[in-house]
Parts: sequence; structure tokens; C-alpha cells
Amino acid sequence: MRWLLLEMKSKNIGLFAFFIYTVLVLVPLWLAVDRLIWIVGYDVIDWIQSLERNYVSMGTFQFTLLQASISTIVTLAIGIPIAWQLGRYKWPHDYLIRSILTMPFVMPSIVAAMGFLHLIGENGLNIRSNQGTWFATLIVAHAWFNLSLVIRFCEPVLSTLDPQMEEQMLLLPAGKTRLGRFRYLWLPLLMPSIAAAACMTFVFSFTSFALVRWITLGENTLESMMASIGSSAGINGYMISRNEIILGSSLIQFTILLLSLWVMSTLQHKRQSRLPKASESIVKKKNNSGWLIVFPALVFAILPLITLVISSFRIRESSASGTTYSWSTAGWEYAFTSTNSLPSAWDALFNSVGYALVALVIALPLGWMLAQYICDLEKLKPRLARILDVFTMLPFAVSSVMIGLGVMLGMIRIDAEFFYSLWLTPALAHVMITTPFVVRIILPALRSIDPLYDECARTLGISKFKRFFKIKVPMLRGSILIATIFTLAMSMGEFGASWVVTRNSDWTTLPIMIDSLRSIPYNNSLTAPAANAVASVLMLIALILFISTEKFRPRRDGGMF
Amino acid sequence: MKNRIVLLSIFMSAMMVAGCISEAIEDSVNDDNSSPEEYVWEDDGELVIVTYDVYGLTDEMLSEFENQTGYDINLMKLDDAGSVLSHLMQHKGVQIADLAIGLDNTYLQTAIDNQLLWEHFANISNIKSEVLEPYNGRLAAPFDHGYMCLNYDTEMVDGENLTVPTSLWDLTNEEWNGKVAIPSPETSSPGRAFMTATVDYFANDEDNQTDWTDWWTAMSANDAIITTGWSEAYETHYTGGYGEYTEGYVGDAHMVVSYCHSPGVESWYNGNWTKSAALDLPRAAFHQVEYASAIEGGNLDAASAFIEYLLTEEVNTKMPTENFMYSVLNDTDLPEDGGYRYHSTVPTMAANVSANDIALNMESWLEDWNDAMVAA
Repeated sequence: MRWLLLEMKSKNIGLFAFFIYTVLVLVPLWLAVDRLIWIVGYDVIDWIQSLERNYVSMGTFQFTLLQASISTIVTLAIGIPIAWQLGRYKWPHDYLIRSILTMPFVMPSIVAAMGFLHLIGENGLNIRSNQGTWFATLIVAHAWFNLSLVIRFCEPVLSTLDPQMEEQMLLLPAGKTRLGRFRYLWLPLLMPSIAAAACMTFVFSFTSFALVRWITLGENTLESMMASIGSSAGINGYMISRNEIILGSSLIQFTILLLSLWVMSTLQHKRQSRLPKASESIVKKKNNSGWLIVFPALVFAILPLITLVISSFRIRESSASGTTYSWSTAGWEYAFTSTNSLPSAWDALFNSVGYALVALVIALPLGWMLAQYICDLEKLKPRLARILDVFTMLPFAVSSVMIGLGVMLGMIRIDAEFFYSLWLTPALAHVMITTPFVVRIILPALRSIDPLYDECARTLGISKFKRFFKIKVPMLRGSILIATIFTLAMSMGEFGASWVVTRNSDWTTLPIMIDSLRSIPYNNSLTAPAANAVASVLMLIALILFISTEKFRPRRDGGMF
Repeated sequence: MKNRIVLLSIFMSAMMVAGCISEAIEDSVNDDNSSPEEYVWEDDGELVIVTYDVYGLTDEMLSEFENQTGYDINLMKLDDAGSVLSHLMQHKGVQIADLAIGLDNTYLQTAIDNQLLWEHFANISNIKSEVLEPYNGRLAAPFDHGYMCLNYDTEMVDGENLTVPTSLWDLTNEEWNGKVAIPSPETSSPGRAFMTATVDYFANDEDNQTDWTDWWTAMSANDAIITTGWSEAYETHYTGGYGEYTEGYVGDAHMVVSYCHSPGVESWYNGNWTKSAALDLPRAAFHQVEYASAIEGGNLDAASAFIEYLLTEEVNTKMPTENFMYSVLNDTDLPEDGGYRYHSTVPTMAANVSANDIALNMESWLEDWNDAMVAA
């Protein structure tokens, strides 16, 4: 009888978690979409056609698709040789090299945008004034971001392959040439990993916002265009076409992201089955000529960040006679002083840390409960478990700007006075974004726990409470820590949703403050260095969080987190 | 099975509730249309101002107000005038700000029509009559004004590289391809002002075959640079202004929509020198008046106090140097030092579009503009 009660309890917790998840994550989105539809009517074809009917959105989809495809190809072209070098040869300070190359992935996009902006600016390569370079810069910036995905996905396959396989291959006629070995051994092995990395790169580039907003002026992705027109959407009888455009573009985004996620999850399955078991006895050679690839890659990975820090200390002084730069901390002082028109970076830091903690306190337990429920159900009702699994992944297919609109048009509209007086409101968007990630990180860890441990403990008469804290928590420790740090990092760097939500409120966050500082017009020479100063702070936080995850990550797990 | 039903029903009910909520929220908000006699507000000692980059709101100026009155100012800065209006529309009936600064005469009427504003009770006088022409009432107090003009870089538009246009049609020629920067009328108030001027310009030109939308289509085809706001057009793209001394400068436009007195501001900054000049074409300039308005449901005491402060001689006469706009007070003009007044153009004939016409047609003009741009 007690058994049954306990089972019931865990089921109730599961249902409770799904209820909270539905209310917090899906209802705002639903309300927002409902509102938009209520204003323009239900005509899907018309929504999509409205993109080409309006000057703001004309050509946006084509541009988004084009840049995302090229970004993916370029990222792979740069990433695969690097992964090859890292995986096939022996490197001194191997761990450090790997960390540096995978670090860009955790950098907030606005930090990368500021870094690249200064890299191509007058004080750097000085190619900014030539518009022909903008598209290429965007592609390179996307490659910078996603390089780590290619490395992280492909490198384990390369580094853990049993050398016997290659030796056998050498004896076969098809393996006589390098090309042959690549064609018949490596490519089939690598293909699923390459495709998975390509898929993720495509998704990230497709929904790129901060980089597009700052680098390619006048060109928009669906994401950045939705953000810029979002503030006038959802108002009955006013700028109706804006609502159509948002519905149309979010529908396109949703479809493409969903498709990519589906491809991704299929590939993930294939990848795991094709990954040959690691052999500990692999002896790797050094490859000095490989430095020709690895060294530039290292420079490439750190350069935008170093530029960023340096330029936060460079103050521009210009007059009709010319422009000079001098060293000064004035930009930092400007950023950290509060004025009537600008909050200080301390306020932004306080809000950012606060929202990250709130997101953590809600998303981590919620994600964990969801994961636990799915995991429990998998044994009893695999079909239902699968449905719930997909259900928790849905927000992945919704871009962050759309989540921001969800909060603004969905929640805030209900009672603006209440939600604006509530410091917590922007954190809702962060919860919506981070919860699915927590589920993704914890679920595989839960699956890998052998139920025997729990059964043994039960037979030993250990209480449920004790079993949880003494057995489950220690076994999940690594994943929980990664989920914790990941939630914090995602929330601290969150740009799209906060851009939509917090700009109409009193509470700015670090990424938004960087953006507003950089947007201040008129020739105040301190705003750009101040933006870089705040970006440097955010970069430092991201770095600390990144180093902490690296410590807990099982080495070469080949996963994304 | 039971689980699935429970979950499904949770989801379905959430969806169904949602279906009526949009309607319900809208209804509750619309019930709240209080007429002037029913103003009810609470003076909480705080003044929340929603605005965009209005330079005149300097820290010193705001602190001075705080010291004088004891109010605590909270500034909410949005992107542009369009965002200010959207913000007000978005929060109709549940406003969070008390005072809107920066709606101009192309935006004001929409705000009035939607009952977003309250009549202030600031004690103001001595306002130039030309400034009161577009709107003369208590729902909005003018605090600065100026004329929108095309500006050009005289070093590039020197008769050799490019010739000074004598008609707007000249800008659709090949030589101007990709060299004219215009803020979008959909988002920016200077953009809207300029578009309004073109309506009048082409209604009164000699050519009866084409109208203003044809010109915009031709401009769109000629790769005019349309930006979201004025600052991107002027700072990032225009070669004739201070933009070249700022970060992120691109400098690909030699003609830009700005103020007729922008060259004056440039000159004032540079010690009586500028390479920028305003193009004085008849009916291609637009008289823009910017307003401060008390927002419905806000702290009317604080809003009125600030409006009064904004229109004191002490504050308002500084408009040319602090806000780079004309003061609205009688017997004021741009200062003469630094060539400010000398390099500023007063258009010989500004576009003549009545406030009423603007109020009636703005929505459809914007739609026509959009269609014209897409048609290219």
C-alpha cells in the first residue's frame, strides 16, 4: 500500500511540473499568438505573403536563408580541419587548446557583436566603411560562434577510433590513397556528426539577432526584423500589417527550426550507434605542420575578445584636423556611473545576476521534475513519454524574440501595471528559455542511472528521502552542475527576449545595456568604450562560467552542452 | 491513458481560456476611457518620462527640476518617436509613464485620437504663433521646433562629382544611386515629416502624370538608403556631418534627410565651419513641432510641472544649443556665434499640409509609401 502511495506522489509531482511548465512557458506564447490572430484573422497564406508585401520585411526570409546556409558551409570548412588536427594528433596543453577553441560558443552574442565591430572598425582592420565586407564579416562571426560545435561533435569520433581500423583500411585497395581512406573510412564515420553540427550551426545562424543588428546594417534576419517591429504589434487597429508579418515570420521560423530539430535528433541517434568504442591505447603522433591550422584558429578564437577589452580603454578624440585615440579608463567610469538617462552598469549587473538566479531557482527544479517524469514514464508508457519529450522541446523551435513577444503581448497585456511593477517579469522569459535546456541535460543522465541502485537501496530499507539525497543526487552531480551553469550563462547572455521585454521597463540587463550604450547617438566619444567595458564584464562572467563547466564535463562526451 | 487525458485536457483548457482572454483584456481596457472631467490620478512624487534620444533632457536640466520640485524623475528611453507612440498604444488604459516627450505633429493626432493623452494644466505663455499652428490645445505642449530639409555634403555635391539637385526627381538619377539616406517614415519622425513634405511637393509640381508615390518607387529603385531612425541616416551614412568622427561610420550617402538648421549645428560645433548645406527646394521642407504630453492615467501634477519647467525662459532658450532645435518662445532665434544662424536655412516655402490633413491621411499615406517602396 505504501508503495502505491509513493508512486502516486511522484506521478503527482510529474503532473504538477507539467502544469507549471504549461502555464509558465506555453501559455504566454499561446496568448501572444492568439492576440495577433485576433487582430489580423486566421489566414496562414496571407501571413506568409505579407512578408513580401511590406517594405520592412521584403527579402528578409531570403537573406536569412542565404546567410544561414553560407554560414553553415563556412563553419564546416573551417571547423573540420581543426577538429581533424585536434583529434588525430598529439598536442601540448591539449586541454587548454580545446577549451580556447570551444569557448566562443558560450559567449553572449552581443559580446561577439561588439568584438567584431571593433575588429573591423577604424582602429582594427578598418574595413567597416566598405559595405561589401559586411556580409562576409557576418559569416565569419557566425563561424567564430559555431566552430566549437563542429569541434565538439567531430573531434571525439576522430580521436577515439581504434587504430586497428585504419590499419586494416590501409591494406584494402580503396584505402591506398589518402582520399580513398577519407572517402571510405572517415567520411561515413564523421557524416552524422558533421550533419548534426551543420544542423545546429544553421539553427543558430538562422535566428541570429545581435550580430545581424550590429554588423549588417539595413539587412535583417527574420529574428531581428521581428524584434524591430515587435513593439508596435498586438495593438488592435494600429499598424495591422505588423501583426501579419510577425505571424508569418514566426511560422516560417517555427517550421524550419522544428525540421532542424527533428533532423538533429535522428542524427544524434545514428551518431551514438556509429561511434566506435574508445581505445585507451591510442598512441598519437605529434604534427608540427598542424600548427599552421591550430595556431591561426587559436588567434581567431581569442582575437575578438581581446579587441573588445582593449577598445574599452581607447577613447576617440576627433576634430576637423583628424582622429586620435588615447588610453583612458573614462569609458569604464562612464559605464559604471548612474545618470538620469542611463542606469549604471552596477544596476544592470545586479539585475542580470538576479534574473539568472531566479531563472535557476525555477528552471532547474522544474526541468528536473519534467525529466524525471519523462524518464519514469519511459518504462511504463513509452509513447506518452515520447510525446512529453517533444512537448518540452517545443520552445527550442520558438526563437527568443518570439519568447519576448510572448511575455510582452501574452503576459504583460493581462495587467501591465502589475507586471511592470514586478521586478521579476523579465525573468519569466529567461525561465521559458532555460527550462527546456535543463530537461535536455538532465534527462540523459537520469536514463543512464541503473535502476538496480534504487532497488537495492529499497530492499535495504533506505527511506525515499535518503535514497534521493544519498544515491540519486551524487550520481547526477555532474549533470546538475552543468545544467546550473548553463542556465546561469544562458540567462546572463540572453539578448533577444530581453530586448523586447526590458526596454519598455526600468530594469536593464548587461546585454541590453551594451546595446543601448552603443545606440546612443550624437558624438559622445565615451559611449562605445563604455559599451565595450560592459561587454568585457559580461565576457568575464561567461568565461568564469565556462571554465567551471569544463571542470564537470565528462571528457569527450561529444555532446553539445 | 488517464494521464494522457488529463494532460490533454489541461492543454485544451489553457487554449480555450486563451481564446477569450485577448478579447476580455481589450474590453476591460476600452471601458476605461475617462473623459477630461473624470481625471483621477495620484501624485506619488515620481515622474516617469517616456521619450527617445531628445538631447535637451540633459542630466543637469533634469536634476535642476528634481531639486526645484522634489519630484523623482525616471527616464524611459526608446528608439524613436514611433516607439514612443507604440509604447503608449501598447499600454492604453494601463499606462506606466506620466509624460511623453518627443511626439511630433505627424504623430500627435494618432495619440489624441486614441485617447492616450490628458490635458495638462501647466501655465504657459509667450509661445510663437507659428508653433501653435499645427496644434493649439492642452493635450500637448510644443517645446521645440524646426524645419526638415535635405542636407548635402558640399565637398561631394560640388557640381563636378555630383550636381546640386533642382528638383526631387534629380535624386532618382543614376548619379545619386545609393547615395541618399532617408529615415523610414514608418519608424522615425523626421522620416514621416519628410514623407509628408513629398506629398505636398508632388501635388504641386508641374507634372500631372506622376504623384508622390512614383517618386518613392523611383527612389527605392535607385537604392535610397532607408534607415530606421534619423541618427543612423545622419551619423552612419551621411558624409557631410559629424558622423565621420564617430564609431561605426560608413559614409556612403552625400544627401540625407535632416533639419534645415543641421549645417548650423555642425558649424557651431566646428568653430564656424561646415561642409554640409541644406537644400532649399520649395515645398520639400516640413515644419516639425515636437511636443510634451501628459499621458492618460499618469501623474498629472508632475507632468504639468515638467511641461511648465520645459517652457520656462531659462530652459527653453537653451534649445538651440542643448537640443539643436529652435526654441518655441517668442523673440528667440538661433544664436549667431559659431555661424549657427548663418549656416542654418529658413526654407523659402515649406510644405503646406494642414494638421487636419495629416490626421486624416497619415495612415493611408504610410500604406501608400509602403506599397510604393515595394513596387520598385
